[in-house]
This record gives sequence, structure tokens and C-alpha cells, in this order.
Amino acid sequence: MNYIHRLILFACLILLSSCNQHQQVKDSQLAFMKTTNLNAVITDRNKSLDRVKEIKRDVSRVPELYDVAVVEGEKNTLVVYKVKHMHRFRMKKIEKNVTEMLEKKYPNEKFTVSSDYKIFLESVRLYERMKTAKFSHQDAEKRLKEIVKMTKDTK
Amino acid sequence: MASKQNKMTPQQQNYQKLQQKHEIKRPVLKNCLKAFLVGGLICVIGQAISYFYLYFFNFTEQNVGNPTVATMVFLSMLLTGFGLYDRLGQFAGAGSAVPVTGFGNAVISAAIEHRTEGFVLGVGGNMFKLAGSVILFGVFSAFVVALIKTLLVIWGVL
Repeated sequence: MNYIHRLILFACLILLSSCNQHQQVKDSQLAFMKTTNLNAVITDRNKSLDRVKEIKRDVSRVPELYDVAVVEGEKNTLVVYKVKHMHRFRMKKIEKNVTEMLEKKYPNEKFTVSSDYKIFLESVRLYERMKTAKFSHQDAEKRLKEIVKMTKDTK
Repeated sequence: MASKQNKMTPQQQNYQKLQQKHEIKRPVLKNCLKAFLVGGLICVIGQAISYFYLYFFNFTEQNVGNPTVATMVFLSMLLTGFGLYDRLGQFAGAGSAVPVTGFGNAVISAAIEHRTEGFVLGVGGNMFKLAGSVILFGVFSAFVVALIKTLLVIWGVL
């Protein structure tokens, strides 16, 4: 009986491992667990990607953060990040500091700053959908507005 | 304690010494370890459920706690009904009582116990016999904390 149990377990393991081979894993599937290091995203074609990259670099320099995503839309720039585990007690203060730093450096921009995992996941999903041809910049802008609205509901 | 011992007769004192000699010592460390492991496992399941809601539904990190707690309480209610949570409670002690699942267990076990007394006065009247105190002190402490926070915000500390 014991032998049969072991055989079934072994067969299940082989079956599971074979299912996983050559299957592309999306970043969004593992966004909660690993560092995605997402590229800077713009939903408005007229805006410069260099500045968004610069914003990302500035936020990444904050020592308490480890994974930063920046999505720039027509009117709003969404900055999402993950906070290192031992610094999660000070999340509100970190958010306040990051917002102040960004508003000081880029006074003409409107920022929405969040450390929420859901917002991060949605930013990664937005980036992935933008890579597909079917998803237009208008759709991206609409989705960005929805994500920004989601951050407002949580505050 | 000393005055209590002085009041005892010599026979009673001897009996107490004998009882202390034969008393089985509680394995405190083992119990703590069991409680830690089972309590931790329940929390891991809770974390997995909250990730599930974050990933597949429109919940954010701020409000994902609500459906997670509801699901955990519902699961523990089902397990209590099937008689499995009691066994877990015997094994893990506080490890199964302290997490929110203990609340579901307290509600359903009281309901099962009093079902013979009828649905209204039996189940309805006694369902929150144990859990009622949790709700009362939970609501009261939440009120006190909210009051303190409001005052701190008004005074500009926070």
C-alpha cells in the first residue's frame, strides 16, 4: 500500500514538472514574490520616456524600496514600489517622503504614489498588455485612470 | 499561598506533597512549539487566501483583509461542523484558538452544543455565548483606538 502511495506521488510530481516545461511565465504571475524591475511606461506618446526613466531612477535610490514601477499618463504619473520588509512599519512616512521628493523635483507633474501590492500588480499587467498589438494607448490611458482611482479608494 | 498552607492540617499537607510528586508536568515548550507551528500554518493559509483575492479580484492590500477574514472564519465554521477543528484544537491549543479561525469555532461549537434547546432560545440565544465577549471587547477597543487616533490627529501629533 505504501509502495502504491509513493508511486502515485512520484507520478504526480513528474506530471506537474512536465506541465511546467517550456511554458513562459509572465512577470505579473510572480509579481508578489519576485522583483520584476519593470521598465518605465508611458501611455501618452507625446511624452518623453527619458523623464519617466529619470523618475524611476530617483525613486529607486530611496534605500527602503526595492522594486519600482513608473507609469506616466496624460495628466497623472503613477509611482508604485515595494517596501523592504523591515521598513514596512514606516510605510506612510516613506510614502510621504517619496511624494514630497517627487513634487519638489518635478513641480509641474501630478504624482500618485502607492506601495499597494495590488496597484503594483495592475501596473505590471498594464505594461504586459501594452506590449500586445491589440491594446491601444487610449485603452492604456483609460486603464491607468482606473488604477489611479483604485489608489484613491484605499486612502 | 503561605497562609493557605498554614491553615491546612498536616495530613492535607502530606497529601499535597504526594500529589505534587505524582503530578504530570505540562510540556510547556512542546505545547508552545505546537501552537506556534499550527498558528503559523493557519496564518500562511490566510496569506495565501489574501494573495488569491488580490490576484483574481478587485481588492487592494488595504481592503483584502475583509474577504480573507470572512473566508477563514467560514472555513473554520465548516471544519468545526465536521468535527475536525476540535481535534486540531486538542493538538495545537492556543495555536488554533488565537487566530481569527478560533472565533468561527467558538460560534459554531456553542451553536452545536445548544441545538437541542431549539433554534431560537437554544442556537440563537447561545450562539454568541463565547464569541459575544470577543465582539464586545473588539468593538470597544476599536472605539478607544479610534478616539486616541482622532485626538492625536486633532493635536497634530500624527
